Order: sequence, then structure tokens, then C-alpha cells
Amino acid sequence: MSGRDAIVLAGIGETRVGKLPGLSSVELQAEAVIRAVKDAGLALHDVDGLLNLGPYVQPSSMFATTLAEYLGVKPTYCATIDVGGTVTGMTMIQNAIWAIESGQCEVAVCTFGENALTGRAVGVQGLKMDNLLGGEEWEEPFGVQGMVIPYALLAQAWRDEHGTGDADFGAVATVTRAHALLNDNAQMTKTMTQEDYLASRMIATPLRLFDCSLVSDGAGAVVLMRADRARKLGARQVAVRAVAQKTTHNSAAALPDIADLGMAEAGARAFEAAGMGPEDMDMLALHDAFTISVLITLEALGFARPGEAGALARSGDLSLGGRWPLNTHGGLLSQAHIGGMLHIVEAVRQLSGDAGKRQVEGARRALVSGNGGVFSVCGAMILEAA
Amino acid sequence: MNDQADLWAPMPHPTGFSATFWDHADKGELALPKCEACDALHYPPRRFCPECGGDALTWTAMSGRATVVSHSTVLTSFHGQDWVGQLPYVVVLVDLDEGPRMLSRLVGSDTIARGDRVHVTFAEVQGRRLPYFTPEGAA
Ligand SMILES: [Zn+2]
Repeated sequence: MSGRDAIVLAGIGETRVGKLPGLSSVELQAEAVIRAVKDAGLALHDVDGLLNLGPYVQPSSMFATTLAEYLGVKPTYCATIDVGGTVTGMTMIQNAIWAIESGQCEVAVCTFGENALTGRAVGVQGLKMDNLLGGEEWEEPFGVQGMVIPYALLAQAWRDEHGTGDADFGAVATVTRAHALLNDNAQMTKTMTQEDYLASRMIATPLRLFDCSLVSDGAGAVVLMRADRARKLGARQVAVRAVAQKTTHNSAAALPDIADLGMAEAGARAFEAAGMGPEDMDMLALHDAFTISVLITLEALGFARPGEAGALARSGDLSLGGRWPLNTHGGLLSQAHIGGMLHIVEAVRQLSGDAGKRQVEGARRALVSGNGGVFSVCGAMILEAA
Repeated sequence: MNDQADLWAPMPHPTGFSATFWDHADKGELALPKCEACDALHYPPRRFCPECGGDALTWTAMSGRATVVSHSTVLTSFHGQDWVGQLPYVVVLVDLDEGPRMLSRLVGSDTIARGDRVHVTFAEVQGRRLPYFTPEGAA
């Protein structure tokens, strides 16, 4: 897609993140939408497409229409999409593009946000959520609940396959933390050294507390429209060059070998569709629910050879000023876990040259990756400054 | 490491179909659905063969022998106070000799490594017997 009919990301919205008591999930999403629409130079009544994901922390249904009513908008295209971390965001964007192309709507907003930190049911401990993930029958009787243990199994397998260790995981955690310190809207505000990483308590071997992402309240949103309209508005113009997705399984009870996860296929298809490769990317926004997520993704997408992603992180190539700055906003590990919506918001911000003291100089192309569940659904999206 | 008498876990909430898996376990058998059309075994059990969609499935006894693919020693409860008393415990991902992969829990040992041989053992948990694994050579 190019020329005057191309569809672009033209606005971004981000709420404060962290502990936001007293705010409901719909209030957070509404705030992000209003900010994104204003950022694009439009008003709420211009919105005729609305895509979202309901909060994971509270079971919900019809959350897109809930949000539409709350905002007072009456869209001609409205949908809730749920395929997991950051893949949801890029799948919303793909659906928004199709909806605009086919004439269902002209201005589509995609949003996710929830009060995952303060909105948990009373009496719930650890990371247990109300929502079912679908594999409970084959996980809970065996001592498995939630996401940490499944990722610990992946992390142990990766270490055993490649003889890698703590230093690789710590490198991802510290690089990401350094970036979060340049973001005024980040939950983590203290420096993290490799020693700090190693001193953090073990949760489920080999994963420590600092291998795990944050639990956060907050929301993010993006606005899509045709490029000519964005141009007239003087709005941002970031083109979506490719979105590709691959599902291989759902629950941890069906966890494949690392080599059989879907990220490599999703990445290869995205690069092929865009006519680009890893060498063409200026920055990376990789879903980082856990440090191991980043290591596996870097290798699957071809940014590092198998077993060498940790060395890439230690080399400085993933830091600001390096070849492929990683999660310049601080990611899920050190900014906030808003389901990856803020990875997309940050990529658009960077490609608009609008990232302030953490701006990646001359950034024109970004690779956004996501994975839902335990690499169950993998997605890759390539964005380019239009 | 827990004594078997202390084991706790949330009980499964089976469907009419998957209840057969747990009923076999109560009798000390590890049985998986085998497709009559294509001979594929699968786990977790589903009403339809994930290879061909076939619904003619026969519950088939496994040897219970397996090889460890990955493992994690859990030091934090993800199920509130109920699981605190289980800590630390070991979760294992194993490949059965017959092929299918299972997520389960290790008992009878605190230590395990990728490639180790294990076999099924039916642990008493809240009045049911659950298919956990234990290292070859352990009781
Ligand atoms: Zn079959």
C-alpha cells in the first residue's frame, strides 16, 4: 500500500501508568482514546471505528460497545479482539486497516488498558487473575497457574539447549531498565545493575523477580486513517508495512520445543511482505513479558543466531545509540505491562521523531513483536515513517 | 520436598469426555486417547483427534515412562495460601515414550535435569490420584 490511499497510524494516546486506584478499565481506555484522537487533530465525533480488548483482570463481555457508550461514540465498525500480548494490538491495527479499506469506517481507534494492579479481586494473591486461560484442567492439578512457570520451562530449555546462563537474562533486564529511566511515565525509576539483577529473588527457576514484567494500571491507544487525511490534519504518519501472525498452541500443557514456536514463521512472513530484513530495522519493540521472551524473539526473527541473543544484549547493540535499540520506553519489564499497546505507541512516537531524550536518531523503521499465552500466538509488525 | 501425604493441588474440573482420563488415573493407569482412524495419540485429551478430527477414540494405556524436556523449581505460590505449603516443588515437561508431551509435577526428588528418565507415579492428592512423575530408580 502506498500513495494517497495508504492508511497510516496518525495519533497516539497513553495514560499515566502504575498504581492508579479508583480508575476502572473502561475509564482508562476512554482516557487513552481521547488523548489519541486529540493527538491526531480530530474530535471524538470523528471516530467511527473502535477496536479494543477487555480487561484480563476482570471477566468482561462486549467491551468495545461498553467503551463506545462510555465515550459517547456511535461507530459503524466496533470489535473486541483477543489474541494475546501485543499480537492483540497489531491484529486490531490489521482489522482497522481492513475496515477502512473496505469502507466500514474512516477513523479507527485501537485501544487496550486495564487496572491490573489495583483492580484484582479481593483476597487474590500472587498473579492469579479471574479470567480463565483455557488450560486450567491440565495445569493446576500439576502445580501450574498463570504465566511465570510456563516461561520458566521455556527459559530452562533455552539455557539447556545453548549452555547460556544468568548473564544473558540480566542483560535484557538491565538494558530495558536503562531505557525506562529516560521515560517519565515508567513504574521503575531506579538503576538496575547486573548485581541487582542477580540479587533479585528467585520466583520459579531459572526466572527471578527481575525476569518478570510488571503488573500495571494504564492504557494506550492508536488512531488510524487514510494518509491524505492525516496529511491535511498535520498528524503523524506511520505506515504499517506488514503484519503477520502464527498460532501453534494455547496452554503450557501443549508447549512445543523452542524451534517449533511460531515467531520465526511470523517474522519471516512479515519481512517478506515488507520486502525488508532485520538489517533494515532501526529499532525494536519486542514483547517482553519475561526476559526469555526477548531472547527467544531476537533469535527467531534473525537478529541473533540461536544461543547468541544474550551476547547481542551485552554488546550494546540493543541500547540507545546501538544498532537496534530495544524497548526504548522501558517495555513491560520496566515501564508498565499494558498488554503491549505501549510498545506500539512507542514505536509510532519514535518513528515520528517525537521521543525526546530517548529518541532513536533517524529512526524510520521499527519491528514490533508480540506473543500471547506462552508463545502460543506469535506476531510481527513492521512500521515505517511515511 | 513434600511427603506425598502433604500434596495439595486444585482438583481438575473435567468434561464428560476428559473425566475418563482422571478416572483411569484414580485406578493407577495413565491412559490417553488414541484415534482409530489415524492411530495418533494425543494429550491433553480432546473429544476429536487433533491430527484428523476423528471422534472414534480409544483410551489406551501408556507405559508411563518418559524423558524430561524442561523443569522448574517453583519458589512462589501462584495460588494463594493453599500452595505456600507446597513450596518448593518441581514442575516438569516430559515426553512420554509413546510420543505425547505432558506437563506434570515431580515427586520423590528435588533435582532433575533435561534428558533424565522418569516414570509416572500416582500421587494421593485430596482423595484423588494424580499422574505425577518420579526419577527412574526412585521409589
Ligand atoms: Zn486421527
